Amino acid sequence: MRPGGAVQQSDGQQAGRPGDGRRPRGAHAFDLVHPAVVLGCFAAILALTMLAIHPVFLALSFSAAFSFSLYARGWRPSLRTLAWQAPLVLLCALVNPLFSGAGSTELFRIASRTVFVEGVAFGACMGLMLAAALLWFSNAALVLTSDKVLGVLGGLLPTVGLMVSMTMRLVPQLVERGRLIESALKAASSARAHTGVEGVAGRVRQVSVLMGWSLEDSLETADAMRARAWGATRRRTTYVRHRFRRFDCAAAAVCLALGAASAVLAWVACVHYRFYPVMGSLGPWWGYLPFALFVSLPLLLCLVDDARWKKVC
Amino acid sequence: MKAVAVSDFCFSYPGAGGVAAAVADAAAAAGDGGAAACGHAGAGGVLLDGVSFALEQGSFTVLVGDTGSGKTTLLRSVKPELAPVGKRSGTIEVWGRDTTALGVRESAEAVGYVFSSPENQIVCDLVFHELAFGLENLGVAPDEMRRRVAEVAHFFGIEPWMHAPTASLSGGQKQMVALAGVLVMQPRVLLLDEPTAQLDPVAERNFLHALFRINRELGITVVVATHAPEAVAAYATGALCLAQGHVEPVELGSLAPADGLPDAGGLSGAGGLPGADGPPVAVPQATTAPGAADPACGRGDGRSSRDGAGDPRPRRAGRLRDGVGAAVSFRDLFFRYAQDAPWVLRGLDLDVAPGTIHAIIGGNGSGKSTLLQVAAGILKPQRGKVANGLSSAQALLPQDPLSLFVCDTVGDELREWQKCCGYSEDELEDMTGRLGLGALAGQHPCDLSGGQQQKLALAKLALTRPALLLLDEPTKGLDAALKCAIGALLVELREAGATVILATHDLSFVSQVSDTATMVFDGQRACTEPTADFFSRNLFYRPQPDGFRHLWQRQQAAGKNGDGAAGAMAGPAASTPASGGPAAVVDDPAPTPDDPAATPAAAGKRADGGLP
Repeated sequence: MRPGGAVQQSDGQQAGRPGDGRRPRGAHAFDLVHPAVVLGCFAAILALTMLAIHPVFLALSFSAAFSFSLYARGWRPSLRTLAWQAPLVLLCALVNPLFSGAGSTELFRIASRTVFVEGVAFGACMGLMLAAALLWFSNAALVLTSDKVLGVLGGLLPTVGLMVSMTMRLVPQLVERGRLIESALKAASSARAHTGVEGVAGRVRQVSVLMGWSLEDSLETADAMRARAWGATRRRTTYVRHRFRRFDCAAAAVCLALGAASAVLAWVACVHYRFYPVMGSLGPWWGYLPFALFVSLPLLLCLVDDARWKKVC
Repeated sequence: MKAVAVSDFCFSYPGAGGVAAAVADAAAAAGDGGAAACGHAGAGGVLLDGVSFALEQGSFTVLVGDTGSGKTTLLRSVKPELAPVGKRSGTIEVWGRDTTALGVRESAEAVGYVFSSPENQIVCDLVFHELAFGLENLGVAPDEMRRRVAEVAHFFGIEPWMHAPTASLSGGQKQMVALAGVLVMQPRVLLLDEPTAQLDPVAERNFLHALFRINRELGITVVVATHAPEAVAAYATGALCLAQGHVEPVELGSLAPADGLPDAGGLSGAGGLPGADGPPVAVPQATTAPGAADPACGRGDGRSSRDGAGDPRPRRAGRLRDGVGAAVSFRDLFFRYAQDAPWVLRGLDLDVAPGTIHAIIGGNGSGKSTLLQVAAGILKPQRGKVANGLSSAQALLPQDPLSLFVCDTVGDELREWQKCCGYSEDELEDMTGRLGLGALAGQHPCDLSGGQQQKLALAKLALTRPALLLLDEPTKGLDAALKCAIGALLVELREAGATVILATHDLSFVSQVSDTATMVFDGQRACTEPTADFFSRNLFYRPQPDGFRHLWQRQQAAGKNGDGAAGAMAGPAASTPASGGPAAVVDDPAPTPDDPAATPAAAGKRADGGLP
């Protein structure tokens, strides 16, 4: 059952503080860092994951993403994710050889097509890359709530920031109203018994009510905006919630250093590594150290915060 | 220097009546203005005709006037960005400056304006962003902005929900955020147009208290336009009445309820104690068809002991044994909106007897609205059973009546279901007449005021002759006269056999109209009793005397004295909801609530004329 909108707004919310919803574990730790740094860090991790097609880098990235997911979302949702991601990787591994005939170590033949180990390995890597990238996206969404992204965005582009904010308000409102209209009609069985409001006619009616309602409201919203000095200056300012402090500078520097090192090493590793015709050697272990550290940063931040609380208690 | 000085201000909308509705700029005002043009101002559509008044700095003024008298138009004219389009003459000065000469920035810093709808005037998705919106528009520097937002949030106690999405707030909280979002620009005059019309009484009191503090502690001049001045009058320092295009000062005392004491004896004038009227009579439901007047609990026996209070209601509030014969019965209901959400209903049992008006009252969050939606079958309980024998002929008035409107005019709206439900044009005429919708027939439903929309939605649903009518806050935003009209309509529907369940905060309305009252608390039923017993045993939860109760009791008395109208009301003659009108029905579109002498007399006259 969907959370019940208007009713819940007027009735249910009184029980607790609104907006005091349950946050994912670890989200509080990210409040310590300026959202721009968090955003940059996740973006860099994502970019490296998607660009460095290298078995070790991908394995590192995926395991870091999965362990963060385990930490933040718990094992049950994480395993549920794994349940559909594992077949995805497998599928990629099996499908790739059918399209690419390169390789040297023959596994078996299907009809006239030879399946090589290298082909399977490349497919598996692509699958892993997809899985890791998706996991990172969902991890970022856990800790980077819309208001944080907006805070970063609004500082750069005030009008775009406002537009996004208004959209964030209007879209759920529209959906909720659609539901209200539907239920209002459903409840009016004394009228419905005789009409055929289901089907196309019913939908058209619903949309027309929704349009009328929203247009009407938007007129008043526009009035409210003008009454509050909308258009008074060309250059709007933005309410800044997060200040960029010394700690954020340090965090940004660490991210930048680790990210740059990882990028260089990844580039070197990718240039020297190839899948076809024979898979190359993986190179020295320390070459992966900066990247391993970089992708573990989100989890480390959470663990440090946890450790601090353990000490206090 | 006066805070606001209006001298010889005249205003008329281009064209007359409905044409004004087309002017997008004046959309919200048009419902107001248009109605007046059709209703009584008449001549040439001049809405404001030589309005002059001056307000001292730091005053708290109530602007009263009927729905459609032009209150909104007048208020909007003071705020240059909102000034309606039309012909105007005379001057309006704020702090000695003509408002038409104010720029956007000066206007924002001189005059703040709060609208009636908490939903529509909120622009942004998060509370802190909403508070900062005006300052962002003014280009205030971030440090200064932070300071002002902090100050205002602290003053109103908004801190706990600073980061909440605005959509998750209750109506009262939204209105408070809207007020804070205006005050953050530090205006010295604050105009509010029906700011509490859509709030429940608890939220209304909170809001008015905040206004009071702004006025007394900060010295901000406040003007509140309202048609239900009882609650505001206690805080005001002066009152103005707008009627026939003119503004006259009125005594504050005349706005407040006449007798200041709560209704001590509940409803039974003779003896307030339960049992004084004899034991509650159980309605033998199994044998009685819904709606047929039951001799055992008819008027004759109940009334003699309490006709002093003018309560014509029979004791039909039967205590049903185990839900046998109930129109709607709930057993062991458990409901929550999401798996991790708190329970809204937890183990609620309730039986509603057929042919009664059953009021559900309780605080915010007690689950009243949820209960109605469960009864209507919109929400499915996670545990428990709902037996609704009338589910095929039910109607639900939702909290927001706009969700029922499809058509472009009020007239079409009322005819939308005419073909399928088969009500006649006469019934429709009757309904529009009694709720004062006739003058609005040509208007767009969205252009109506909140109260007008409420009555349109109710009329639309009542015309379908539902056997079960579920009403969510039916009296929200209505003035006393309209509440009376709606009360009379509900009584009439009941006499025709319908069962009415209403969830409301309006104790005064419940005390006069309903047969049975149930208090829900913490997701459960705290008690269910006949209304009179219910209120006489309550210590805190009692109706305050208000304009509605005066008017209603007078109308009831007038109806009874007429020619035994009460008997006619109970009789099977009034079998269809929209024909054979009972006594006391107001068909004046907007009787003056603050002029109690005129309305009951008029109503009585009509009652006499309308009866056979």
